Amino acid sequence: MASNKRQSILPRVQAGPKAPVNFSSSITIADTAILTGNHTINISSDSVIHPRSKLDSSGGRVTIGRRCIVHERTHVGAPGPAPPSSSASFGVLLEDYVTVEVAAVIESGETTIAEGCLIGIGARIGKGAQLGKHCTITAKSVVSPGERVPDYTVVYSNGVRRLDKRGVNDLKNKAQARQIEVLRRLIPSNPAKFKD
Amino acid sequence: MSRKQPKGEWIETDTGNKVNRKANLIGTQHIMLGGKTVIMPDAMIRGDLARTATSAAGGPPGSNTAVFIGRYCFLSKGCCLRPPGRIYKGAFTYMPLRLGDHVFIGEGSIVQAATVGSHVHIAKDVVVGEFAIIKDYVRIMEGTIIPANMVIPSFSIVAGQPARIIGEVPEGGHEAFELRERYKSVKTNPLAAGS
Amino acid sequence: MASFTPYSYIQCPCFDATGQARPSDESPSASSSDAPESDDDHAFDPRSPRSNYSLYPIEHLLYCVDCNQIRCPRCVAEELVTIYCPSCLFEVGSSSVKTEGNRCTRSCFQCPVCIGPLAVQSLEPAPESSSLLTADNAAPPAPGPWALCCSYCNWSSSEIGIKFDKPQGIFGQLAKIRDGDGHGDISVAAVDAAPTKKSGDAEADSTKSRFALMRSFYQSQLANSNSTSSGNLSGTLGEYGYGSPTALSRIMSLYSGNGLAALKPKSRPTEIREADSFKDGFRPSNLDESSSISALRENGYDGTVTNSQATSQVDEGARFVEDLWPIPHLLRSKRAKRCPVCRHILSKPEAKVNNTRWRIRLVAGNYIPSISIKPLNPTDTPGLPVPDTSSLTLTPLKPTQYLLTFKNQMFDQIKVTLATPATTPGRFASRVTVLCPQFTIDANAEDYDINEALKDDRRQDKEEAAPQVEAGKPWERGRNWVSIVVEVIPSSLRIEPKPAILRKPGEAEDLGPLKEDEDILEIPMFVRLEWESEAAQDQVGSTASKDKEAKEKRELAYWCVLGLGRISQD
Repeated sequence: MASNKRQSILPRVQAGPKAPVNFSSSITIADTAILTGNHTINISSDSVIHPRSKLDSSGGRVTIGRRCIVHERTHVGAPGPAPPSSSASFGVLLEDYVTVEVAAVIESGETTIAEGCLIGIGARIGKGAQLGKHCTITAKSVVSPGERVPDYTVVYSNGVRRLDKRGVNDLKNKAQARQIEVLRRLIPSNPAKFKD
Repeated sequence: MSRKQPKGEWIETDTGNKVNRKANLIGTQHIMLGGKTVIMPDAMIRGDLARTATSAAGGPPGSNTAVFIGRYCFLSKGCCLRPPGRIYKGAFTYMPLRLGDHVFIGEGSIVQAATVGSHVHIAKDVVVGEFAIIKDYVRIMEGTIIPANMVIPSFSIVAGQPARIIGEVPEGGHEAFELRERYKSVKTNPLAAGS
Repeated sequence: MASFTPYSYIQCPCFDATGQARPSDESPSASSSDAPESDDDHAFDPRSPRSNYSLYPIEHLLYCVDCNQIRCPRCVAEELVTIYCPSCLFEVGSSSVKTEGNRCTRSCFQCPVCIGPLAVQSLEPAPESSSLLTADNAAPPAPGPWALCCSYCNWSSSEIGIKFDKPQGIFGQLAKIRDGDGHGDISVAAVDAAPTKKSGDAEADSTKSRFALMRSFYQSQLANSNSTSSGNLSGTLGEYGYGSPTALSRIMSLYSGNGLAALKPKSRPTEIREADSFKDGFRPSNLDESSSISALRENGYDGTVTNSQATSQVDEGARFVEDLWPIPHLLRSKRAKRCPVCRHILSKPEAKVNNTRWRIRLVAGNYIPSISIKPLNPTDTPGLPVPDTSSLTLTPLKPTQYLLTFKNQMFDQIKVTLATPATTPGRFASRVTVLCPQFTIDANAEDYDINEALKDDRRQDKEEAAPQVEAGKPWERGRNWVSIVVEVIPSSLRIEPKPAILRKPGEAEDLGPLKEDEDILEIPMFVRLEWESEAAQDQVGSTASKDKEAKEKRELAYWCVLGLGRISQD
């Protein structure tokens, strides 16, 4: 079925089991977002889910923190190459202020992404990886499964790492809040479609 | 899923644009196609990320186009065009994305540039960062990642992550950027054999 | 295996300009020199190391109409038309390039860590300006210090302690910080960072400022001592900067032979002293490396500078990541190309940076027939496009046919003659046969009648009588193109010693494993074009006799290499 394919061409009609959801009241979720799976998908306040993004809880519970932005064509909760272990207590956890850019893939299986991370375009976070706070994963980078990335790391060209010493956390968070304000106006939100 | 045959897979507008029905165009009132442009299936254009009307008096309140595409452009399968956004004068705004003529965007590429000039060939799996400026006659090789705010001058060949200018387009290579033949090769007539 | 696209490379005649390679110069290998001759030259070996530098795809070649010869990027003479910065696209005059160097002196820099672009960003956020918007829509500019930030790896110049007061003219501000104001004062905008680096004296530590200090010091020393010793002579010689005046005067007195001068009491010339203090540019080398060692221990290998980062820095001597400095962009140029022989301009771009037109563009692609290669499967019906099977590898010892399409770009009819050696040079000699070595291609007429166009279309739709693979006849013809068949029998890739009777005396056997790209089937082909064009009209008033003008016969010949495919290993 379509939900097994990663970044697949999904028809407009949602395929796969409709996931039980738990939304906060102030989220913005586009009409053509796809929420599938058996476990709950939690989305906290002020977050934005762009059209055509896919939140998949078939491998475990998906939790998205406050003021997160999930862009289109992403696949949060993708099954990894290995069969999903049933011992995972949750699928994916995104803390506050996380941005997941276009076509990124976050595999499920206790994957944790701490506050303020920026997952770049087309990046791939392996199953069970744990990203520290305010990390930056640039475009098309890969974090291998189970890896623990320390706080403030920047992962860039071909896997090189360095520490980010800019100290601009507050600036980033403020900028994210502003972006969310604008996105809320631009994307027509339809949370009711996903609730049962 | 069977295709509904009588409806046809392609939409051909009167300006000659060939848009596939499976392409994903969001916010089409903010997208301007120049004419004779081909949009393949699964291409995605975020026209909904348009510039919000400014509060200043005298600014044109009318159509704030988010994406301008020139003539003879070719958007391959799975590519994505998004206007770049940044904090400008205290507020977050999306700026328009402009493509020139004869722009080829390869499969799976994601373009968030501010402007792309004419006669640009972007290969597949390329990521163009926000507010990048790509001038005319540029060839971007496969898998390149162009960081944000980068300027690529004319006649360059660019590759790498992050992108570096690795060569110059030779004088004899200008004709290779023309996309007229490619436009003609896209058959929208369902009676054409194969495709 | 990666798919292989057939290619055709052309050799520029400048390959021979440096003189014929004598056979004794070439390495004794079972290749090139023994290949059969054709057209008085040794058959061209595309695998010899020299040929790598003379082979170009047709896009890279220019054509000189006066000499009727192709020119390659190696032999053309280039001249600068415009010099500009590739990042800000700002034109720089050639005089300022001479004084300021070949880097951008505005605000464009490259990140030293990842070579991405650096943007000037303010370190304080802009205030909430919605309430402050005035009628002219001017929001107050972001205050606070500015820093250079990399958009890709998130490096920031605040990591090395550099912040700026204003967002323009960063180059000048950086230079001031680097070289210090005057001699080693605390610089204007440097924020307090590691004291070992940013103390006052270490400020003026860049190579440029040290050189300047030393130079002025030594010049003043020479001037001082010159004024005491004899005459203008040593003064002028001292200006060259060499020799101490004592040595000079000694040598001069030897040659002048004037005993009196030697006996004259010489006033003791002022001793030249060497530079020994800070302001003379003297820096004793710091033999105590303990600070470097402790820094190394602290940050580890990742804290040191990689090779590529070190080479792209402007000043040398950076060892740790904290020493890296932003790199100003190297300037780029627009160049006009001239034929080396007749000085005719071959290509000339417009002077403006943002104008992409070309004033003159004599490209070989407009004169030489273009060659496209595709495999020919005998079951295909002619006229329909062959499916793209570029990943097909050649089976050894199986005759395979390829279709070469020559497209004529000139407005005259050309007669093409092809010649290839019977076997390809190199260790694995495949047999090559060109089935139609001589043919003519019609002119690329600009206007053609509708009948021609209809004929072309009809040919594509209908199945005509299948052309036969015949020797001596082209496969197919068109308005300005001809396709011919080439048959190859790829050799086997097995490496075996040759039997004794075939072994030539003194020839070394190469039994090593397959070298890179040795399994690609490459055919060297000699192409000769003959065509007639109007003779150059030099005389004034010769308009009437155009038809009766003797048509000048022109010919052009060159070697080219066709790469057909890889031979599969069985």
